[in-house]
Amino acid sequence: MLELRRVTKAFAGVPAIDAVDLTIHDDEYLTLLGPSGSGKSTLLRLIAGLEVCDSGTISLDGEDITYSPTHLRNLGFVQQSYGLFPHMNVFDNVAFGLRHRTHNPIEDSSEVDRRVKAMLDLVGLSELGQRMVGQLSGGQKQRVSLARTLVTEPKVCLLDEPLGALDANLRERMTVELRKIREALGVTFMHVTGNEDEALAMGDRMIVLDHGRLLQVAPPDMVYREPDNVAVARFVNAYNILEGRVSDGAFLQDDARLPAAGAPDGKGYYAIRHDAATIHHGSEPPEGAVALPATFVTEEFLGSRFFYFLRLDDGTVFEVERHLSREDPIHLEAGTRCMVSWDPRNALHFGADGNRIGAPAMKGAA
Amino acid sequence: MQNNGFLRTALGLYTALFIIFLYGPFVVMGILSFQAGPEGGPQFPIIEWSTYWYRHVFGLTPPSRVAPLPIGEALLRSLTLAFATMVVSTVLGTLTAQGFRRNFRGSGPVFYLVVLGMMVPGVLLGLGMALVADQLDIARTWWGTAFVLHVVYTFPFAFLVMLAIFNRFDKSVEEAAWALGVSPGRTFRKITFPMIFPGVLSAMLFAFTLSYDEFPRTLFTGGSEVTMPIAIYGTFAVEIHPNIFAFGVLTTLFSFALLSTYGILMAMSVRRAKFAAVQEDIE
Repeated sequence: MLELRRVTKAFAGVPAIDAVDLTIHDDEYLTLLGPSGSGKSTLLRLIAGLEVCDSGTISLDGEDITYSPTHLRNLGFVQQSYGLFPHMNVFDNVAFGLRHRTHNPIEDSSEVDRRVKAMLDLVGLSELGQRMVGQLSGGQKQRVSLARTLVTEPKVCLLDEPLGALDANLRERMTVELRKIREALGVTFMHVTGNEDEALAMGDRMIVLDHGRLLQVAPPDMVYREPDNVAVARFVNAYNILEGRVSDGAFLQDDARLPAAGAPDGKGYYAIRHDAATIHHGSEPPEGAVALPATFVTEEFLGSRFFYFLRLDDGTVFEVERHLSREDPIHLEAGTRCMVSWDPRNALHFGADGNRIGAPAMKGAA
Repeated sequence: MQNNGFLRTALGLYTALFIIFLYGPFVVMGILSFQAGPEGGPQFPIIEWSTYWYRHVFGLTPPSRVAPLPIGEALLRSLTLAFATMVVSTVLGTLTAQGFRRNFRGSGPVFYLVVLGMMVPGVLLGLGMALVADQLDIARTWWGTAFVLHVVYTFPFAFLVMLAIFNRFDKSVEEAAWALGVSPGRTFRKITFPMIFPGVLSAMLFAFTLSYDEFPRTLFTGGSEVTMPIAIYGTFAVEIHPNIFAFGVLTTLFSFALLSTYGILMAMSVRRAKFAAVQEDIE
């Protein structure tokens, strides 16, 4: 179990990580989502010991490792750029940690051989042991980098945007593979990514980070359905977010009053998922639905679904997602006036501080 | 088009002149080294082609009025001095450049202090060192006072070469090794050093050649046991014979040999990766 307590780090006075509390359990897949500049790489480097925190403590299985050097932490670190040793072949890259580590190096070469071969088998590189790393494709490098780390049996394996440099096809395959490898070894993965789909798809739990603070730590479906904060709702990239004022239990959007029971008066945010809204052109919104007038802008075809882009009268872009398995596509001319509607029970409300109304207060983040 | 042709002619002429000035002295020296001896002098025309002066350099000619070049021991001293300077400067330069990879307080002034060693005119530095040695009653020797100045002079070159190498060095490779549980010291030996080795070779070459033909600093601080450049300069004072040219050709060939060795080592360290790949294809 890896525990972070009030870990803080600033670069030249600018806070990068701000009093982060986090507990990472054994044998779990944790994804960390944050936009670039949110401090996600810094957090990973702090845990790995490549940066030293200004205050706070990091402990691994009860042992304080806040100031231990990297090579004594027994944590794995897989970099975005892979960091392979260019003057060695694949086998020697993977064997390097076993042979040369300070703690418990393995002198017996047949033992090294056995473990490296087993690991190369696991990541599907058993044929390429003798190849130099310069001769590998991006996906193969990624696997070498992973194998090299996992063969040393770290307690926690930190992955810094491991799929960032791969093309879309490979990315999808590695997504499945990473989960499979992790389950086979029972090691904890902490996977940093800037891609919301990756974070949602891969994690047993998901962390959302922004401006050096944890916004939400929860299972991905919770993060997706009930984002604790308007920023989280933005990052998962599945919500239309309206910004405005609440008064007398209603969110004011132009002339319309959207029901927002329980929301305090003042500045607020109103969010509705892309797939919870419907476009009406020549038909009336159903009874009890909330409807707003909008102007059709354009559409985007994504195979199994359509994305429609509309503009509300105050200029806000509004997206509607339509799955072709459930409905036939509609086709509208750009500039067509229409209505968008949704069931008000599906809407989420956020207060002036960005926190969701009715969300549990963010604490300890266990 | 006409303009273009003029430009080409001008550039061609410029290049030709450049090459003449670059290689002219060496060609003249090479031709004159084959002058007949011992009566032939260091001037044209060539009386008769002969290898007399080459044999003279190695002491293989019967005694004549031309004294043998006093370079045997001087050459050995110069090579020893250059080798020692090379080792010390390269080690120091590599370590200093390694230090400069992290931005430490006062790194700016320290940088200029290091580089000062190659900026200060050699004559001044040599004279200053001689005065200091006299004041402190230190004997002036090629392996003592001169050696120190050679290091002061070549260390900045080695340092700058290594600084450029480290600038391009991908730190994530070292971080990866640390994260695998390997200590920083072992990481340097097993990862960093093999990767910067081509740079280290360049730094060594710089340090060696600069020290090997260093003149002004050695002149003032070398003492009575002279190094090769001083010994050659000493022979100018009497009368110039083509044996010096023969010696010049030999040392130039030696330098080429050194450069070739460097080139081969470089190519080997670069090609090792490709070579292994080729081997695998054969299997």
